[in-house]
Amino acid sequence: MSRISSLINFASKRNISLTVPREGKRNFRKFVLANKRGSRIHKQQQMGPKAELEVDKRGVRDVGYYLNGRFVKVPEMIPELIVPDLKDCDLKPYVSYKAKDVVQSEFTAQQLFDAVYSKKIVTDFKQGKLDADGQALEPSEEEKLQAEEAIQRAKKTGSDIF
Amino acid sequence: MRIYNFLCKKVGELTVKYSNLPESYIKRSYEQVYWRNPKGYPQYPAAQIARKKYRFTTNRPWTMQFARQNERTTQRKKVFLEPIGEWMIFKGDRVEILVGKDKGKQGIVSQVIQERNWVFVEGLNTHLRIVGKDKEFPGVTIQSEAPLLVTTGVKLVDPETLKATEAEWRYTEDGEKVRVSISSSRIIPIPKAAQETMDYKSKELYIENVDKDTTAAIANKITFDPKLRTFEMDIMESMGIEEDRVPAKSYWY
Repeated sequence: MSRISSLINFASKRNISLTVPREGKRNFRKFVLANKRGSRIHKQQQMGPKAELEVDKRGVRDVGYYLNGRFVKVPEMIPELIVPDLKDCDLKPYVSYKAKDVVQSEFTAQQLFDAVYSKKIVTDFKQGKLDADGQALEPSEEEKLQAEEAIQRAKKTGSDIF
Repeated sequence: MRIYNFLCKKVGELTVKYSNLPESYIKRSYEQVYWRNPKGYPQYPAAQIARKKYRFTTNRPWTMQFARQNERTTQRKKVFLEPIGEWMIFKGDRVEILVGKDKGKQGIVSQVIQERNWVFVEGLNTHLRIVGKDKEFPGVTIQSEAPLLVTTGVKLVDPETLKATEAEWRYTEDGEKVRVSISSSRIIPIPKAAQETMDYKSKELYIENVDKDTTAAIANKITFDPKLRTFEMDIMESMGIEEDRVPAKSYWY
C-alpha cells in the first residue's frame, strides 16, 4: 500500500476545473470600453495608482496634473468662456439675403504697420524729428515697444502663442 | 476616394441651391447611418455602415415623405441615369417637347429635378388622375404633369426663331458663362425664375425676419479699426480684464 501511494507522485494527475477558464478576463486594450462598460475585472484593472488599463476620458482633458499620485488642479487650465454683453448689438444670428457679398482682400502685416506707424513717421520726417539712424526723437508708445515686451504682452492673456 | 466623393454627391446642385440649406445639413437629413466608428481613436478607421442607394423623386431629400420612401426595408430597382456634365435647363426656361402626346408643343419649365434628370413643363405632358374616390363620391379629377427627361424629351428653344435648338455653354468676351444655341449662336438668357428658392422668388423680394435677420446696411458696415493688439488682447481691453502675471519664457529647440 505505501509503495502505491509513493508511486502516485510520478503519475500524471489531471484536474477537472470547475470554474470557467477565462473568468471573464479579456484583454481590451484596443477596444474602447468607456464609462460603465466592462466587467468587474476590467474595472479593477483600471483602478488604483498602478492601473494596467487606462480610463477613457472621451476627449476631455484633465484640469491639472498628477504629482506623487495626487491630482493637482491648475486654475488656468480650467476653460473660462468669456461671453460679451449683447445689449447694444445690432447683429442678429442670420444675414438677410438682400445683403451683397462682401469681398475683402487679406489684411496683411504691412497694412497693419501702415495703419499704426506710417502717419507719425511721415510727420516726423517732414518736421525733421528723425535722428541719423531714422529712429524717432520723440517716440510714441507703439514706437517704444520692443519685441520681447510685445511677446510678453500677447502671452499675458493666456493665449497659446509660442 | 475621389470616385467615392463624386458618388456621394447624389443631390443635385440645383436642389441644394433651391433649398437654401447648407449641403452638410441636407446630407445629414437624408443619410441613414446605422453604425459609425467612434472618432478620435486611431485603432478605428473612419468607417460607417450606411444606406447607399436612394430613390429620388419629386419629394425633396430633406422631407419626411422622402424618408418614408427610402425606409430601411425598402429596396427599389436601380434607376439608370445619364450623367450630365453641365446642366442646361432651368426653371422658367421655354422648352419644346419631343416625345409623348404633346410632341412639338412649347412650354415653360415649372420644376427641375436634377437627381433624375427630370423636367416638368407647365400644363403639358399631362394625365388625369382621380383623387378621393368613394362609394358615394365620384372623386376629384386632377390634371398633373408627367416628368420629361432632359436628355431625350426636351430641347431648349431659340429666343428669336422660337424653334427647338441644341445649346451649349460658352464664354462671352467679358468672361461670362452663357448658354448659346449652336445653330444660330444666339445667347439664351437664364430666366429670372431660376433664382427662386424656398425662401424667396428673387433676392430683392425677400421679406426679412425682423428678429433674426441682420439687415444689409448693418451687415456691410465697416467697423474694423486696425490696432496693434492680438484678438485676445482686444477682447481683454473691451471687457476690462487685467492680467498682471508674466508667463515664463519658453524656447523652441
